[in-house]
Amino acid sequence: MENHEESRQVVHGTVHGVRSTSADKQNKRLALQFFRILFIQTAMVSLLSILGLLNSLVTAYSILLGGMLYLLPNIYFTARALLGKQLHEPKQILARIYVSELGKMLLAVALFSVTFMLVHPLSPFSLFGTYILLQISGWYLQFGLNNRFQKL
Amino acid sequence: MAELLFVAVALLLGLSALAGALGVSLLGGKFLEGAARQPELVPLLRSQFFIVVGLVDAIPMIGVGMALYMLFAG
Repeated sequence: MENHEESRQVVHGTVHGVRSTSADKQNKRLALQFFRILFIQTAMVSLLSILGLLNSLVTAYSILLGGMLYLLPNIYFTARALLGKQLHEPKQILARIYVSELGKMLLAVALFSVTFMLVHPLSPFSLFGTYILLQISGWYLQFGLNNRFQKL
Repeated sequence: MAELLFVAVALLLGLSALAGALGVSLLGGKFLEGAARQPELVPLLRSQFFIVVGLVDAIPMIGVGMALYMLFAG
């Protein structure tokens, strides 16, 4: 509903020549919402890691590493795609999101490789469990973020 | 046995890359179609596109992570 209102404001804004201002506001709000999601996930990882300490130190730092492997590429993606100079041409927007996505994937591959090469011993169950849990929580939080998306 | 491990890793990485590329490219095409049809909705479409791109690459990235674990730790 909120986004429907926003789209109407954007259409209205086009008529009065203030489309870019409305789009910029929407973009900043989206970036804030995404960073809030990432903050919630960081808190989740910290809590899980503290709980993992009850089991063993290896479990705790594996959980922490799983969380970092998810969070660092996502922070890069969100910052690169949503912050910085505002773009309004669809082709430029597409190119920026593609480049951000590519950077996110390369960063994730590099971090996974470095982790598996350098960290021994490692608890793969804790690491992948945290990684998958964060992916699922990301889906859930992002779906909750946008009511209009659920209707599409 | 080691050869089979490399084949499994190659399959996991290759199929993950293929799935991610197909998903993201289809999304990009639909975004451009939507933007061409209704240019006034570009900011809204951009938000939707950004959200869904984040969702599409989740499963391929899990596959990539498991392939790299098999490669380096296996």
